[in-house]
Amino acid sequence: MTNILNISKLSKTFPGANGGTVALEATDLTVAENDFITILGPSGCGKSTLLRMVAGLDTPTTGSITLDGKTVSGPGADRGMVFQSYTLFPWLTVLQNVCFGLREKGLPLPEQQDKARHFLAKVGLKGFENHFPKQLSGGMQQRTALARALANDPRILLMDEPFGALDHQTRELMQELLQGIWEAEQKTVLFVTHDIDEAIFMGSRVVVMSARPGRIKCDLPVPIAHPRHYSVKTTPVFTELKAKLTEEIRIEVQRAAGLMGV
Amino acid sequence: MRPLQPVSPGTRVVLGVSFFILFFALWSAVTFSGYVSKTFLADPLTMVRSGYDLLVNQNFAYDIGMTVWRVLGGFALAAVLAIPLGVLMGAYKPIEAFFEPFVSFARYLPASAFIPLLILWAGIGEAQKLSVIFIGSFFQLVLMIAVSVGNTRRDLVEAAYTLGASDRGIVTRVLLPSASPEIAETLRMVLGWAWTYVIVAELIGASSGIGHMITDSQALLATDQIIFGIIVIGVIGLVTDFAFKAFNRKLYPWARL
Repeated sequence: MTNILNISKLSKTFPGANGGTVALEATDLTVAENDFITILGPSGCGKSTLLRMVAGLDTPTTGSITLDGKTVSGPGADRGMVFQSYTLFPWLTVLQNVCFGLREKGLPLPEQQDKARHFLAKVGLKGFENHFPKQLSGGMQQRTALARALANDPRILLMDEPFGALDHQTRELMQELLQGIWEAEQKTVLFVTHDIDEAIFMGSRVVVMSARPGRIKCDLPVPIAHPRHYSVKTTPVFTELKAKLTEEIRIEVQRAAGLMGV
Repeated sequence: MRPLQPVSPGTRVVLGVSFFILFFALWSAVTFSGYVSKTFLADPLTMVRSGYDLLVNQNFAYDIGMTVWRVLGGFALAAVLAIPLGVLMGAYKPIEAFFEPFVSFARYLPASAFIPLLILWAGIGEAQKLSVIFIGSFFQLVLMIAVSVGNTRRDLVEAAYTLGASDRGIVTRVLLPSASPEIAETLRMVLGWAWTYVIVAELIGASSGIGHMITDSQALLATDQIIFGIIVIGVIGLVTDFAFKAFNRKLYPWARL
């Protein structure tokens, strides 16, 4: 597999008093084609900052990001993003929302709608094309946001705790749905989460980040075969990895809370 | 009655109408009883009778038409210029930094105080009346529209960028639609203020309009006519406000969800 995303010596310092806040220390990460990488860390570890820099929404203080060899210098359609907050455009219907990026690309309307319908069916939202976002539940809104990002056919899909605002049961359903789509579409995904179960279940690699200042602490492969069924969450391989990650994260959370000397 | 508890639509109408009834009852009581002299305040019946006389014998409908045209004309002119400027200011911060301090200053300049100057510059014709309305509404509109556009949710803008939107796309496909309902609300509110300016403009140097009729009636101590004029303005204001509200609701159904 070839690496499509290369992150090297990437750091971010937010300006402020005392030299500012270091959100991310020099970080290296490579992502191979069709990889599903979950970035796991406590809140405030800079994992969202890392993702936002890949998306081009934040500018790095040092270091560089290249996608297919091209340096990332701003946001673009080649990197689709699903946010934690509900970011569907409230004045557009579900179908129009999914068409947004396609229209920006200049596709003819019938083609836009065909594509949008295809992806809406994939996320199980057939029949909701003419609803407005506020008429949908949180889970349905995030599914629409996923369809909207996928319809644009990005090289890499960036997901910033996309299921973070959903209740536990809905979140598990969404994980399975995304897992199924990834297995079928073979997309490259960078997925940020603070949920250990989610990180293992979704990822083919779990990258653990340390508390402030953020840096990559370890990078573990998930040796669970695809297709994954939700029942893998009770297998020994899963629980063993979970125990290990729980320990790693626990130390970071304690450090972040100031409960332990550095 | 408890804080913030909603009231049923039927009760709302009954309560709203009953205050009007109470108002007229009180007015009738103090005038018909002779408690307040006719010189100072006409009774409702005289007011209605002279209102009929104004409309039928004194061509008052023409005055109403003139006033409505002045308000709508001056306001439309202000809106046509204020919307693009306000949107640009809300979207592009350097443009905002350039205009905002002056516009903030200009909106505190009282439109009515400009009337002597405007008469000097534009005479006592229609241009002067329209200018008063324009000055009174333009600066307010610009500022409020700029704020509405500037308040667009940042995450929606970011989402649009990650979907490949260009800067132009951000303005036309995110900022504008997102701010549209609020811009429409702003137009509705400022139109209400425009009504108060037009009367002031017509009190001085006008030969037609509701304000002109009121000044004429003042010379004759015709309180019945003055009150009728004021009520006509109120009714027209209320009707345009309702129409505007209904129009906005129809235009932006998603904003109410």
